[in-house]
Amino acid sequence: MAQKKNSLVSRRVILAAVSVTAVIGVWFFLTSVVRMIPPAFLPPPQNIVTDFFRLLGSPYVGHTLVGHTLVSLQIVLGGFFSALIIGIPLGILMGWFKRIEAIVDPLFQLLRPIPPLAWIPLSLLWFGIGIQSKIFVIWLSAFVPCVINSYTGIRLTEPLLVKAALGLGVKRQRDLLREVAIPSALPIILGGVRIGLGSAWMTLVAAELLASDAGLGYMMQMARRALEPSVIILGMLVIGILGALMARGLRALEKRVCPWVKEEEH
Amino acid sequence: MDRFLESLGEKIYQEKFVLSISSVLGFLFLWYLITDLFGFMPAIVLPSPEKVFFTIYEKILVPVGEEKLFGHIGVSLVRILVGVGIALGLAIPLGVLMGWYEDLDSLASPIMEVLRPIPPIAWIPLAILWFGIGLGSKVFIIAIGVFFPTLINTYIGVKFVDPLLIKAAQTLGAKDKDILWEVVVPASVPLIVAGVRIGVGLGMMCLVAAELVAASTGLGYLIMLGGDDLKPELSITGMILIGILGLIADRVILGIERRVIYWKKE
Amino acid sequence: MNEEHKLDKLTAQNVSVMFEKDDTSFLAVDDVSLTIQEGEFVVIVGPSGCGKTTFMNTFAGLVRPAKGKVYMDGEEIHGPSAERGVVFQQFALFPWKTVSENIEFGLKYRGIPKEQRDEIVKKYVQLIKLEGFEKSYPHELSGGMTQRVAIARVYANRPQVLLMDEPFGALDAQTRTIMQEDLSEMFLTEKRTVLFITHSVDEAIYLGDRVVIMTARPGKIKKIIPITRDNLIPDRRQMRYDDVVNLKEFLELKGDLWGLIKAEILEKHIL
Repeated sequence: MAQKKNSLVSRRVILAAVSVTAVIGVWFFLTSVVRMIPPAFLPPPQNIVTDFFRLLGSPYVGHTLVGHTLVSLQIVLGGFFSALIIGIPLGILMGWFKRIEAIVDPLFQLLRPIPPLAWIPLSLLWFGIGIQSKIFVIWLSAFVPCVINSYTGIRLTEPLLVKAALGLGVKRQRDLLREVAIPSALPIILGGVRIGLGSAWMTLVAAELLASDAGLGYMMQMARRALEPSVIILGMLVIGILGALMARGLRALEKRVCPWVKEEEH
Repeated sequence: MDRFLESLGEKIYQEKFVLSISSVLGFLFLWYLITDLFGFMPAIVLPSPEKVFFTIYEKILVPVGEEKLFGHIGVSLVRILVGVGIALGLAIPLGVLMGWYEDLDSLASPIMEVLRPIPPIAWIPLAILWFGIGLGSKVFIIAIGVFFPTLINTYIGVKFVDPLLIKAAQTLGAKDKDILWEVVVPASVPLIVAGVRIGVGLGMMCLVAAELVAASTGLGYLIMLGGDDLKPELSITGMILIGILGLIADRVILGIERRVIYWKKE
Repeated sequence: MNEEHKLDKLTAQNVSVMFEKDDTSFLAVDDVSLTIQEGEFVVIVGPSGCGKTTFMNTFAGLVRPAKGKVYMDGEEIHGPSAERGVVFQQFALFPWKTVSENIEFGLKYRGIPKEQRDEIVKKYVQLIKLEGFEKSYPHELSGGMTQRVAIARVYANRPQVLLMDEPFGALDAQTRTIMQEDLSEMFLTEKRTVLFITHSVDEAIYLGDRVVIMTARPGKIKKIIPITRDNLIPDRRQMRYDDVVNLKEFLELKGDLWGLIKAEILEKHIL
């Protein structure tokens, strides 16, 4: 039986290797060997690698690769964390106090359907081309899921648990909130945080495509104008990897903060 | 807290209603106040509510750019529909086959895992390079946005189907292919539809992003134009319409969900 | 029952099965040999987790024995087949199909044309007393009704062998009694070869021709007790459950069987 499992695993690995090699191989063939595809359209794979090293050392449109990455990261994390600080408490209060929900919810529901990206032009108009306009939109995009999930998490608190706490002597609302509602809502809240991060990241890229003078999105946009798709693809890969790393980091955090949650498959 | 004290019941309900209405009215009033009445905000920064209203009215008759208002709405709609259609047509069959045939999964998964973390918006520069600023690039971006959530949900639905149902089908004489289409796919429908819902939501965001960055028609274009021409009322118009479009799309999918999952409780 | 020599329908020869859970695997069934004859109703009783289901699954073709072989009609069993129908404890009805469509499921793969399928479905809906519910969905039915549909679905497919894994385990006591009586009646009307798993000693004696007691991990056969012929009233199946359960012979037998099982539970610390 054990032997069967091993051979299954290695079959997966072999097929994976085959498929990746095949894709890169065809790509290489069509761009470098046969030259069916012009480099201004799709660069040969090795160009991406060389560009990676090139951009590590020398600046491209103002910053090195690392420079652009840091600019993007700073903005994203800035907007993201401010969204957490305001969004999560607000969501919790909305979930717990019906009065607050009644006041805030209708406004929230009105503004919610509008994709955060759509705020970019207005934001530019209000805050100019600087960092503030980007941070505003990014803040907005992370804010919404944080509020929604915090709100939902609190609302889904099992009444049974509250009754149990009451029966064990917990009296003040404050304590109920702290001891029962918030811990029980934590997994959902963290889920919202994760969504918020993904959303923030996406919004950042869009904002940088539109109006920026540094950052990964800006880098890609400039590369497009210069007809250098290899740099574009490089940017895409860096963005993808960063996004995946951040998501993974969050998931690890979730596991430490909420050790009582069952593991999900995906 | 009031949530758990049932005795407060109706009193809270009425209070909630009053609070909600006053909140919305208060917001509108505040908006009117700072724009029209006191002129705190110059019209180029924030237009008054009635200005937005009149703009909408006006643009139904007078074109903005190349189209009148309904023309822009139509263009955006077409882009969304085509993008969603292409994505679903590819993602659902692929997801089903990948979930069912282990070898296909091993071959295709690595490629998907590399492409998936890249936010659809990051594809925009490349899409513009490849397809220009016409319909093609928008459809491409939207399709990418819709594709991955749908693919994943379909894949998971098929791969993790209750094995009991498969065993039952086997002991009733069904063969492999029959089991796939008669048992596994119907059983996965709830997850597939959930994936479509997420995908379409993402697709709407991609539509806006693509139309913001490079378009000469469409709602995103309107939003962008408002910023460029210092006419925020145009932007707000576009934002409101996008919001409504998004809500309608969501409702439609919910409706489809209800009809397709007629066999589930609730 | 007459003593004529019947065909060996199902045979297990020295079957051992490994069960894998997470990362460990352990011996679930240890060197079990059992022969079931055509038309026989054999019941396996035993404490929880003693490998009864795993053993039955070898006959179903859903599990491969690590050692030993299983046969049907002298031919080795390689995989699931419509000739060995299974009734699962968790019902396993297709939730998106109606009662009729569920019962009809296997018939399609037998190549039976539509009109004939409809007739067969109708007959079995009547047999399980669910007229009026042909177009209902499983989530609209009670537990007892659902299980009846599950049984009808397999029965309608006319398998030569029926493998039933604690089919009444999830039902309340009253429904259970009714289902047992119904099953008995069905068995009298359309005799098949049946392998039935249960926890309940009462059920075992009421339904079975022979009762097989299995030990706990690893599962082995502790003892096989024939119910018909020597021990009990042959027409118990035509009697009401409540009447049978109070018979002196029944109670004696129950005492013996239960004693054996209880010893097993205590010895192996299953509780």
